[in-house]
Amino acid sequence: MRQGSKLAWLLALVLFAAACSGGGEGVEGEGLEDGGGGGTEAGAAGTEASGGTGGGTLVAAISSQPDQLDPHKTTAYASFQVLENVYDTLVVPNTDLEFEPSLATEWATSDDNLTWTFTLRDDVTFHDGSTFDSADVAYSFNRIISQELANAFRFASVKEIRTPDPQTVEIELTEPTPNLLANIGGFKGMAIIPEGIAGPVSGGDGGGGSEAASPSPGGSGADINLANEAVGTGPFALESVAADGITLSAFQDYWGEGPNVDGVEFRFISEPTTALTELQTGNVHWTDNIPPQRITELANNDEVTLETIPSVDYWYWATNFNREPFGNPKVREALSYAIDREAITQAAKFDAATVNQTAIPETSFWSTDYSPYSHDPERAQQLLEEAGVSNLSMGLMVTDEFPETVTAAEVIASQLGEVGINVEIQSETFATWLDRQGKGDFDAFMLGWLGNLDPFGYYHSQHLCEGSNNYQGYCNEEVDKLLQQAATQTDQDQRKQLYDEAVKLIVDDNSYMYLYNPDVAQAWKPGLSGYTIRPDKAINFEQVELPQ
Amino acid sequence: MTTHTDAEQPGREPVDESPGEAGTPPAPAATSRWRETLGILVRNRLALFALVVLGVLLLAGLTGPYVAPYGFNEVVVEDRLEAPSSAHLFGTDNLGRDVFSRVLLGARVSILVGVVAVGISLTVGTLFGLVAGFYGGKIDDGIMRLMDVLFAFPALLMAIAVLAILGPGTVNAMVAIGIVYTPIFARVTRGSVLSVREADFVRAARSIGAGDVRLAGLHVLPNVLAPIIVQTSVSLAFAILSEAALSFLGLGTQPPNPSWGRMLSEGRAFIQQAWWIAVFPGLAIFFTVLSFNVLGDALRDVLDPRQKSAIESRGMSA
Amino acid sequence: MAGYLARRGLQAVGVLLGVSVLVFAIIHLVPGDPVRLALGTRFDQETYEALRQRAGLDQPLVLQYFDWIGRALTGDLGVSFRSGRTVMSMIVERLPATLSLAAAAIVVALLIALPLGTLSAVRQGSKLDYAATTFSQAGISIPDFWMGILLILFFSLQLDLLPPSGYVSVLESPWGWFTHLLMPAVTVGVVSGSILTRFVRSSVLESLGEDFTRTARSKGLRERRVIRRHVLRNALVPVVTVTGLQLAYLLSGVVVVEAVFAWPGLGRLALDAVLARDYPVLQGAVLLFALFFLLVNLTVDVLYAFLDPRIRY
Repeated sequence: MRQGSKLAWLLALVLFAAACSGGGEGVEGEGLEDGGGGGTEAGAAGTEASGGTGGGTLVAAISSQPDQLDPHKTTAYASFQVLENVYDTLVVPNTDLEFEPSLATEWATSDDNLTWTFTLRDDVTFHDGSTFDSADVAYSFNRIISQELANAFRFASVKEIRTPDPQTVEIELTEPTPNLLANIGGFKGMAIIPEGIAGPVSGGDGGGGSEAASPSPGGSGADINLANEAVGTGPFALESVAADGITLSAFQDYWGEGPNVDGVEFRFISEPTTALTELQTGNVHWTDNIPPQRITELANNDEVTLETIPSVDYWYWATNFNREPFGNPKVREALSYAIDREAITQAAKFDAATVNQTAIPETSFWSTDYSPYSHDPERAQQLLEEAGVSNLSMGLMVTDEFPETVTAAEVIASQLGEVGINVEIQSETFATWLDRQGKGDFDAFMLGWLGNLDPFGYYHSQHLCEGSNNYQGYCNEEVDKLLQQAATQTDQDQRKQLYDEAVKLIVDDNSYMYLYNPDVAQAWKPGLSGYTIRPDKAINFEQVELPQ
Repeated sequence: MTTHTDAEQPGREPVDESPGEAGTPPAPAATSRWRETLGILVRNRLALFALVVLGVLLLAGLTGPYVAPYGFNEVVVEDRLEAPSSAHLFGTDNLGRDVFSRVLLGARVSILVGVVAVGISLTVGTLFGLVAGFYGGKIDDGIMRLMDVLFAFPALLMAIAVLAILGPGTVNAMVAIGIVYTPIFARVTRGSVLSVREADFVRAARSIGAGDVRLAGLHVLPNVLAPIIVQTSVSLAFAILSEAALSFLGLGTQPPNPSWGRMLSEGRAFIQQAWWIAVFPGLAIFFTVLSFNVLGDALRDVLDPRQKSAIESRGMSA
Repeated sequence: MAGYLARRGLQAVGVLLGVSVLVFAIIHLVPGDPVRLALGTRFDQETYEALRQRAGLDQPLVLQYFDWIGRALTGDLGVSFRSGRTVMSMIVERLPATLSLAAAAIVVALLIALPLGTLSAVRQGSKLDYAATTFSQAGISIPDFWMGILLILFFSLQLDLLPPSGYVSVLESPWGWFTHLLMPAVTVGVVSGSILTRFVRSSVLESLGEDFTRTARSKGLRERRVIRRHVLRNALVPVVTVTGLQLAYLLSGVVVVEAVFAWPGLGRLALDAVLARDYPVLQGAVLLFALFFLLVNLTVDVLYAFLDPRIRY
């Protein structure tokens, strides 16, 4: 038909246009990989990056597309799955979540605990060939602080960052900060970028908010646009960004041991059935897109290797203290007794989660062994009676962005129905959800906190009276006092004790009603080696070798 | 008698065989037409089947809560993912709920969404189309450009945006779907109105001094009903599917209320373990959509054997 | 003809402006804002304010609109809040995948609809007619995500014949492009084909009853020839209308199929933009979709004149 040929014409035209305009950032170097793995030509992408190790390209299927690649600006897990392999931090958590040297080889704390001195590696090169030194560290941290970027709050106690010499960084604090290592190295959100790469940054004044007339997102001015380009010190360099995937190539001058593969191709596959089929048919080597109900079956499947490990995440629900009758502690206690945490966890995650009545998983040093509630509908009804509440009707806000909240809410609704509470589930898009949460426009909501390492991250902003994430409106001066003491207590055991006390109060008051810690589940091709599944869900392909 | 309505074709002479008696309301003719319609429907076995299905559906919608063996949100996690059995005719879902009961209770949502959403677009769209076609000129231009703007806006995005503003839920989903399908009805109606506006019986009625409202309502509208009715039956089917698409995105019927669309989309995660979660609501959708469409086809054949398809359909499957 | 085209062009500009106002109004009416979302769950008031100001979201709405439409007129669709990339580059990057899928799906749809619809009309009331009707109903009522997943499980997992997902540029590998395109195109094409089958059937039926068909038959022409020469040609007019609408619909992306097959199309881009309140991307995408819609409509109208000599502008 005539229309068909017209379309073909148009198609050809657009393809041509795309090929031309793509030259700047995207398309280059593509297609070179096709040949069959071994030894891709050097210099293809203009950086020092190139293969030559003959290790082939690892293909990883992740479930969503990174929003942007600026490590200091993004908050998306998908972005950090990629960035983990591109950037480095001063220190890095090992698989037991204890901090180890990375770009810093050693560190020391002054007697008053107010100055931390980091000694840096002297053999590190950025992907653009420039040499890493202390100025880069100061620049990176000052960028986060002065531009009020996503992780600025982690530097709240930082007074000044000094660089006495190229191999030394001193961080001066306003108060002792025992969790400083987690704050500057917990994940790649505090990555070190080359000095000046993202435009001028005002330094040193510790978050005075001075606006460096900085470009709008993606704007010009700076040398490169970190939103879709990257210059890090990690094992892989960013090669290309496309609508369906991101390609990294091995960085030859990497300071560490790896990498063993020529590159990594991240593909975005949101449908689990599709991702798993790709893995089983051998087009994909690794994926984390695994629905919990398939774990048992896949564990027995020879075509894949599947591992699970408890994560550091937790899921909870909370009520709005500023709305009656949820300000009444008895009502909240009734809700806590009315639900069957085991059933909720089973429904939402099958066996891939552990019930927990506090936030921190039992595998952690910081875990608090405390579980006062049991599934006791009679007790719940009695508490409601004591509170003088009957015929309670309430909304429970969840989001399809995290389908497990919807599933869990259906079970919660069913269980609360048994004690005469009518629950209306409100499933919102995440944007609306956050908006309503921010405005306090809810009776109750369910969500999770992901990737925390230090108890500070688990408990502070959520439960302090003035905490920036205390949407439920909880306020207990005793808890405030304990948390504030814990924040600056440098003795680990004493600090743990303070947290234990605070957590018990938080659980008794039902500030959050904690539900479970999910497992991490990841699967890869049998024979793939050098990969370690981690509780913080960081995925690092530095040591990976493909199956023969 | 037939009334040739030719919606979208410019440059054709409308053929009209209606009786010339000026000013006579076409009521008697319409009555016999209905009788004829019913007769043909009964003779058409497929159409009869469709009527029976819709009857059952209606019955399910009305009596569902009384006859369903289990509640729609009776969660028994230990009994989850059980295959169809005598205890659970259609098996159980991932929360141990009875799929048969949920399919039965979901009928109400589907009927309501279909009828109300299409009711909205039918009323608003037909009114716009009637006014535009009847008056022509600037009014026509204004209304139809507005409809074009709505039409040019991708349906699913429009529905999502409307739902994001109104908030998710069955009722709001009806409104959103209703808005999305309004321009189609406006177009269909306008096209037909244009073709009968200058017909003899309308001119005659005008000449004896009938007012605009009377003219449009009593003389024009009844003669353009055929394509509108067909469009209605087609839209009913699409409205039900649209609700499924919106539920797929979590914006339609709110859990735990049963909606066939939502059951279907949630069931896809269990396709390799428990086919029954999604297959039964899927079959329910299939038979409902089939029935509406077969009925629409039959009505078209009956009402207007030579009618050029003035129906525009617009899939909205997420 | 030239006058007609000019008038239509002017109308199209009006509609585009209308769409631009509508999309702008709607997206700003929607609760939730992109900056809040970008910050995720970890919220900080100062960071929030700084980001809002930087993105120009503290300006009055009317000002924001004129700022945007002014730049859009010069071809600058702005920069995505989410990715920091230009909207134009994000659209251009996904256009080939969407055009490939839309074109292939329409081809599949016509391959199904033309023979099936014609046959069932010519043999109205036969078993074949019923079978065709049932097929087209099934095609309409089976949700596309189901069909897609079933295809993947069968052709990829069971038979290992076709790649389960992904898009390969035709420039890179024509064969790879084809094999990756096949399953998504069939998934989408069956739905569109089912809708089209209904229209082909009804317009062929109608055409069969027209005077010219009777005349041709009475002249003793063979049935095959009558149908090919006279009936089909006349039946094509409404079919072209519906095909055009289907094409316009497909060009605005097929979100679910794109998700199932990890297909980097425009539907996902637009949906993500709505969900993330990424105003510039959504505005740009909707404007493009409206442009597609108007272009397709115009093409259809011009095609009428070729297909049906009775139509003149």
